[in-house]
Amino acid sequence: MSLFVRFWGTRGSIPTPGHSTRRYGGNTSCVEVRVDDALFICDGGTGMRELGEALLARSSDPVDAHLLLSHTHWDHIQGFPFFLPAYRSTTTLRVYDVERDDDRVHRLLLGQMRPEYFPVDFSELGSRIVPSHLDGGCTTIEGVTVRAFEQVHPGRSFAFSFAKGGTKVVYATDSELDRTVINRSDILDRPHALRALPRDALAFVADADLLIADAQYNDDDYRDGWGHARANTVVDFAIQAGAKQLVLFHHDPTQTDADVDGKVERAMARIRAAGAALTVFGAREGLELKLG
Amino acid sequence: MTEETTLDELGIAVRLAAPRRPFVLIQLEGPGAPREVPLELPEFVVGRSLQAHFTIDSSRISRQHFTLRRQGPDYLLTDLDSANGVFLNGVRVHSAVLRDGDMVQIGDVVLLYREGDG
Ligand SMILES: [Zn+2]
Ligand SMILES: [Zn+2]
Repeated sequence: MSLFVRFWGTRGSIPTPGHSTRRYGGNTSCVEVRVDDALFICDGGTGMRELGEALLARSSDPVDAHLLLSHTHWDHIQGFPFFLPAYRSTTTLRVYDVERDDDRVHRLLLGQMRPEYFPVDFSELGSRIVPSHLDGGCTTIEGVTVRAFEQVHPGRSFAFSFAKGGTKVVYATDSELDRTVINRSDILDRPHALRALPRDALAFVADADLLIADAQYNDDDYRDGWGHARANTVVDFAIQAGAKQLVLFHHDPTQTDADVDGKVERAMARIRAAGAALTVFGAREGLELKLG
Repeated sequence: MTEETTLDELGIAVRLAAPRRPFVLIQLEGPGAPREVPLELPEFVVGRSLQAHFTIDSSRISRQHFTLRRQGPDYLLTDLDSANGVFLNGVRVHSAVLRDGDMVQIGDVVLLYREGDG
């Protein structure tokens, strides 16, 4: 079994080009998860454009991919109309909703290609785009167990987990984890105290080899109700769930490379103080991990 | 023409004539350190083998440990299924687009990547 995870876009809200974000900058959410021959694409942010080019360059075989969107905010769908394989008749793209009778994701992808927004109509995409669903939250796709978990985010969002052969990856972005903290008052009163997370969220992430999680904010720049988490809260989440590796994802658009490095260093310090064996790093484009 | 403008023009001429700064790998730790290798090829292999472009004589390094492949303005590092892996800034990676100041660790060897302008 082989499992690869590659980051094509890691920024939150809007792309962040420029000199101050050379290391962590660029495109919005798009992560490729390859499990043996199965190709999963988590979110269709602007990073999806370069993923499309890479897939066509990698092989002349038809592209057959499973697209899972955490939700349909702009920064998670904007790359889709620029995904070149979608214009090839040989491509099959399965687009997932969580519930069986839901077609929201498919409808909204189609909607963003209306003539007011984009010059090419959805119906002109030459590929086979198949509305699919996760059977209420858990299904097996090409031998991979794929689960969904609803998160706190304006308009709601979903985390996804991919598991095969004892290896597990969780993609959990656009989640205001802080709103689910059981001892919420401690976050301000005793910021160093462990932030306890609900049992169902911990079970979803339990023992993940890799947790890719929304860590947009620091403790001091957190915006209550904006739908994103404090990095310290995510660290506590990963520790309690027994994750092995944590990737701080969906960096705030205002954060420079130095800011993201600072966020990672503070996360490391918190892990050390907790005496936990957890690796943490900041998500950056072009990075590929091999797990399992 | 004043003396000042002459000096200015001279300064410009000197800058234009200066060689472009190459991309380099600087070995900070491990057998052979310290040393510096310019990345002058589109593909560059680091390993224990004498056939590697950058040979490091360490038993903890595979014969062909990783490659650096030029991709536009960047170098892409790829682990060649080495026994002990490649660590980028402390994280084990399969591949990565390198950035100035990245630390690459393989076995007992630490390499610093510096971007050039060539
Ligand atoms: Zn987002
Ligand atoms: Zn969102």
